[in-house]
Amino acid sequence: MTPDVSAGIDEIKAMFPNSAVIAEEDGEGGAYVTVVDIEIGSQYQPSVASCGFRISYLYPRADIYPHYIIGGISRRDGQARQGVQQVTWRNQQVLQLSRRSNKWNAAHDTAALKLAKVLEWFRKL
Amino acid sequence: MKLKLPITLTIDEVLFNRLHQHLFPGDFDEHGAVIAAGIAQTPNGTRLLAREVFLAKDGVDYIPGTRGYRALTANFVAEKSDFCSTEGLCYLAIHNHGGFDSVGFSPDDVASHKRGYPALLQISNGIPVGALVFAKAAVAGEIWTTEGVFPLKNMKIVGKHTRLLYPSPQDMPRRSKRVYDRHARLFGDAGQEILRGLKIVIIGLGGGGSLLNEWLAKLGVGHIVAIDFDRIDITNLPRVVGATRWDARTWLTGSRWGWLQRLGKRLAAHKVHIAKRVAKKANPSITYDALVADILDSSTAMLVRDADFIFLATDSIRSRLVFNALVHQYVIPGVQIGAKVTADKYTREVANIFTATRLVLPGLGGGCLDCAGAIPASRLNSEGNNAEEQRAQNYVDDPQVTEPSVITLNVQSAAQAATDLMMMFTGLFEPNAEMGHIMNFARERRISFVEPKPDPFCLDCGTTSRSRKGRGDAVRLPCRV
Repeated sequence: MTPDVSAGIDEIKAMFPNSAVIAEEDGEGGAYVTVVDIEIGSQYQPSVASCGFRISYLYPRADIYPHYIIGGISRRDGQARQGVQQVTWRNQQVLQLSRRSNKWNAAHDTAALKLAKVLEWFRKL
Repeated sequence: MKLKLPITLTIDEVLFNRLHQHLFPGDFDEHGAVIAAGIAQTPNGTRLLAREVFLAKDGVDYIPGTRGYRALTANFVAEKSDFCSTEGLCYLAIHNHGGFDSVGFSPDDVASHKRGYPALLQISNGIPVGALVFAKAAVAGEIWTTEGVFPLKNMKIVGKHTRLLYPSPQDMPRRSKRVYDRHARLFGDAGQEILRGLKIVIIGLGGGGSLLNEWLAKLGVGHIVAIDFDRIDITNLPRVVGATRWDARTWLTGSRWGWLQRLGKRLAAHKVHIAKRVAKKANPSITYDALVADILDSSTAMLVRDADFIFLATDSIRSRLVFNALVHQYVIPGVQIGAKVTADKYTREVANIFTATRLVLPGLGGGCLDCAGAIPASRLNSEGNNAEEQRAQNYVDDPQVTEPSVITLNVQSAAQAATDLMMMFTGLFEPNAEMGHIMNFARERRISFVEPKPDPFCLDCGTTSRSRKGRGDAVRLPCRV
């Protein structure tokens, strides 16, 4: 892993102290990251799930998206929502959250901040 | 730190002009300054790379000396050498003498180096320190290392007029070969000799890169390094200079049997080998390195560190990131060329046809691709994903769809780029020539000039401590591990 990717993962651990953070090297200097047991909102069943994403070796220059909600979650009201779709990611069925940051600024944006923003968006969905 | 010889210094023109105006304001007196420089150790020598210039205020930081005429104050030296040591940069003390094209240290200078530099070297954590003395068009220097004291061979100023300064005038250039007679009538034997001494890197030997390759060889450039991992394909033949059906193994790739098609693709010639053949035919005495390699790999990108100029002629945003990093981190000018055809999202009809020639000079305001928005973070992300992940993100173009490409568009962007190189190194640009990016919109028959939009916080060209500008080997390139 590059030093920037390692630092990004450390920031995630610091921002989500109650969740386990699992990082697997992607073979290029980046990492596949899973943040375990995150509160995703009471509108979902279950309301706690894991979130996975890839931090590429180009971090912090590259944006981080999509994020994936891992595990069979569903909305309690049964309604579909835009920006979310079922896909296969790393051999598992996941919910893909497509939140591209068109104004990503490598000098300020971080993997931890992006995860927090994506989760906030998902909780309000 | 043991330095590979020879040692040279490279500085961007903006920093140099600031320093030069400070040293030679017209009062014929002596003035002082400090350069903080990154270090790049290459197989062909050590390159010191000016990152910052600190001007010493007359009477405050640069005062009458007790042993010599003038000296930097102890406080100024301590502050700047401490900064260099903390940042891992080489401390270079600067002053000037009179004269024009010849300069050397005085006995007082040499004595002061012997008194001060061993101690400075001790507190610099082994990072070299040194001194430079300038005349108006000359520079001499000595670099102190733990292994000994070595002379500075020359100083390269990178910018609109890229040139070298030496301690004294160099020998007259040899008369150009007769074949270059018409060139020499434009930029002289000296200009032809400068081109012969250049080491130029071309990244991507497709349509645009292959044109540059032939033109540079014919121009008389002495050394080309071509980088491309790709093999030629029948669909490249209308654009890649010198490529033949034999190179593309068309009798195999055109077979109706899949296994023969695959065999043909595996046996097709690499683009860099075709380019080498073309360049050698154009200029048999050229030194040519054909690298079947990817600039995204660190081991390949590191080979570019001692180039004089870089042409980027690939389609990927990731290669733009590496190119931009090389330009600023190693103070190497370059140009990115490309052609693009955009289609209406719904009707798929052609919307725009344009070419881009983006000259990038090291330093803030030099045309940094990142400041220009030409390295979008979202594209960096999507290019890093595999095809399945890209398809799952249905807002990116289908990676299976091949973009249109036509040789005349390649020519348009490549011709401007090759001319820019020639003008920069032979000193033919007007002093007030605008160096911004040039866009050519073919459908509208319109040329647009894009002013640089420098961002001081840019991680490549910016002025903050996080910027890679002039850092040399101290920071990693944005390459695959």
